[in-house]
Amino acid sequence: MSRRYDSRTTIFSPEGRLYQVEYALEAINHAGTAIGVLAKDGVVLAAERKVTSKLLEQDTSAEKMYLLNDNTLCAVAGMTADAGILINYMRNSAQGYLKVYNQDIPIETLVRRVCDVKQGYTQHGGLRPFGVSFIFAGYDDRYGFQLYTSNPSGNYSGWKAASIGANNSSAQTLLKQDYKDDISFDEAKKLALKVLSKTTDSSKLASDKVEFATVLLKDKAPVLKIWKPAEIDKLLEESGVLEESKDDDN
Amino acid sequence: MEVVLGIRAKDGVILATSKAFTRGISVLKATDDKTRILNDYNILGFTGEGGDTTQFADYIQANIQLSTMREGTELNSKAIASYVRYELAKSLRTRKPFQVNVMLAGLDKREEPFLSLIDYLGTRVDLPYAAHGYAAFYTMSLLDRHYTPDISVEDGLKLLDMCEKELVKRFPMEFKGLLVKVVDKKGIRVVKGNE
Amino acid sequence: MSINAIAKKYSYKTLAERELEDANEEYEHFVPNLSTMSPSLTLPPISQPTEFLRAHTDDSVNPECKIKIAHGTTTLAFRFQGGIVVAVDSRATAGSWVASQTVKKVIEINPMLLGTMAGGAADCQYWETWLGTQCRLHELRNKERISVAAASKILCNLMYEYKGMGLSMGTMVCGCTPKEGPTIYYVDSDGTRLKGDMFSVGSGQTFAYGVMDSNYRWDLTVDEALYLGKRAILAATHRDAYSGGSINLFHVTEKGWVYHGNYDVGPLFWEIKEKEGSFNNVKV
Repeated sequence: MSRRYDSRTTIFSPEGRLYQVEYALEAINHAGTAIGVLAKDGVVLAAERKVTSKLLEQDTSAEKMYLLNDNTLCAVAGMTADAGILINYMRNSAQGYLKVYNQDIPIETLVRRVCDVKQGYTQHGGLRPFGVSFIFAGYDDRYGFQLYTSNPSGNYSGWKAASIGANNSSAQTLLKQDYKDDISFDEAKKLALKVLSKTTDSSKLASDKVEFATVLLKDKAPVLKIWKPAEIDKLLEESGVLEESKDDDN
Repeated sequence: MEVVLGIRAKDGVILATSKAFTRGISVLKATDDKTRILNDYNILGFTGEGGDTTQFADYIQANIQLSTMREGTELNSKAIASYVRYELAKSLRTRKPFQVNVMLAGLDKREEPFLSLIDYLGTRVDLPYAAHGYAAFYTMSLLDRHYTPDISVEDGLKLLDMCEKELVKRFPMEFKGLLVKVVDKKGIRVVKGNE
Repeated sequence: MSINAIAKKYSYKTLAERELEDANEEYEHFVPNLSTMSPSLTLPPISQPTEFLRAHTDDSVNPECKIKIAHGTTTLAFRFQGGIVVAVDSRATAGSWVASQTVKKVIEINPMLLGTMAGGAADCQYWETWLGTQCRLHELRNKERISVAAASKILCNLMYEYKGMGLSMGTMVCGCTPKEGPTIYYVDSDGTRLKGDMFSVGSGQTFAYGVMDSNYRWDLTVDEALYLGKRAILAATHRDAYSGGSINLFHVTEKGWVYHGNYDVGPLFWEIKEKEGSFNNVKV
């Protein structure tokens, strides 16, 4: 029976549910985890890369972290190909705003615009929703450093620390335990990696499984950075996360 | 032959527009207001082709207010100036461009006095003092002589009075005096010409 | 195809955006906008319809033009303590030819609203009648009489839509509503819309303004005001060759408009000259 309500995104089930949207959310729960932590003086994004192979070229195949414009970046959980469409849309949209107003688009405005597109695909007949959740990190004059998540339904919300993808509920619990309101950028980096290491299946984190990005402020301007594998390895080493997780295993 | 004059003082901005509305050889109205309030700290003065002026100003006003509602925050003066310039530049490449010259006066981020001159071709310049049309020929020399960057709104209004006197004396057209508005920390207010 | 149309055709739009656009179009007819309110007029299949029209109808540019649109008028309206007085002449001219001496230049939009006619007679008649339709629809939809401000804005927006396409109108929309009181809006084919206490439109406007400005007071009685309106039009018909015929007088109050008669300027001139001892340039 329920088949009748699965096939079209526009149709509510008798229980008032939109199955296609729920399936899309479910698909994301199997994707690699992404974590964001908002600090006083910066924002940190960390993500687990699921598909790895020795043959994979490390430098040319970032699949979870994307720059959107000069003040926003995002991490992706879900179908990378779907994400590409939305990321292209956001980059265009941000440049369009810059063209008209001669200033960077506020983070929330950009998030809302992409969420309007996502929402549209849950309502208009015959289309599949985007199987993508995002974590956005950025800086603007209005709210300073910001962290948002969005999901396939087109909802978005702002966070101090957030996670999407596989094991996101346990990641969220860990974040809630360890997050402090006055957390520093360095502590945030460590917290993100620590939570990621505990929620990933693989026993040992390494740069081939982790992507890492940060937002900082330098001379009153945001500086966005997607970290190189070597830098990630160095960071993992320095943070001591690897030792801690070993201790936990024992 | 309409007058639009602006002076940026250290603690606010002054915008003055002529009150005459002239069609052909008759003054049809002597209490015209050639300004639109965009939000609490920004106003737009305009001159140009009849019909185009009010349609364009209303359009800008509506879009600024819409943006305030959607974003839950006011656009700052620089962003508004940028947006107005964009609209005029866009319109210029259509079959029927808006023939409107505007002047934006406001407090940027509710702090910094801001004055921007934008013509119908989409040329934008941010200036300490400015005028559109023939009024510029009579008043720019006065402003060049007496304006200082640290001028107060109060002294700015005195300087504006000098400009108005000169216009009354030498300008061959009747413009029925100036409607003078000030934008400062207290917001927007009419200081003269609303009798 | 214009470069804009080409650019639009090939510009990137997501499927959802297009679907949203289509959905919006479906609902558009519920929103009153000009495209649904006014009939769409087909333009003649020539490259520059406006230029063409001007070349063949504007006798001030080309006195030899074949189509002469009725022009030349004096119309006025002013606000006073007792409401609004509207007065107009009745002459229509096509070039130097007096086409009619009995034109109705006050258009009764509905029992509450008056519009005056200057410029193209057909344009004024057509669009002010159309405005009457829109006002009635507004009443049916909103269970409330339309304000003068809103009515004049509908006309003004229409004028602006056709700006530069050859319409020629100078009109005063006059009415009285409980919210606004006696109100006059000047609307013309440039798309100008002005609220004011006193307007005069047409080739004789300067003469009418002269009489009105020197004899006007806010606390004029109704009879005084009606006389002033009549007298101002008479002055214009005397000096402006393109104004004449007879005078139509109206008084507008919150109860609607009242017609106060038609006065042939021929006999009226002598009557007033004798009564006032004025027009002393003319010998009896």
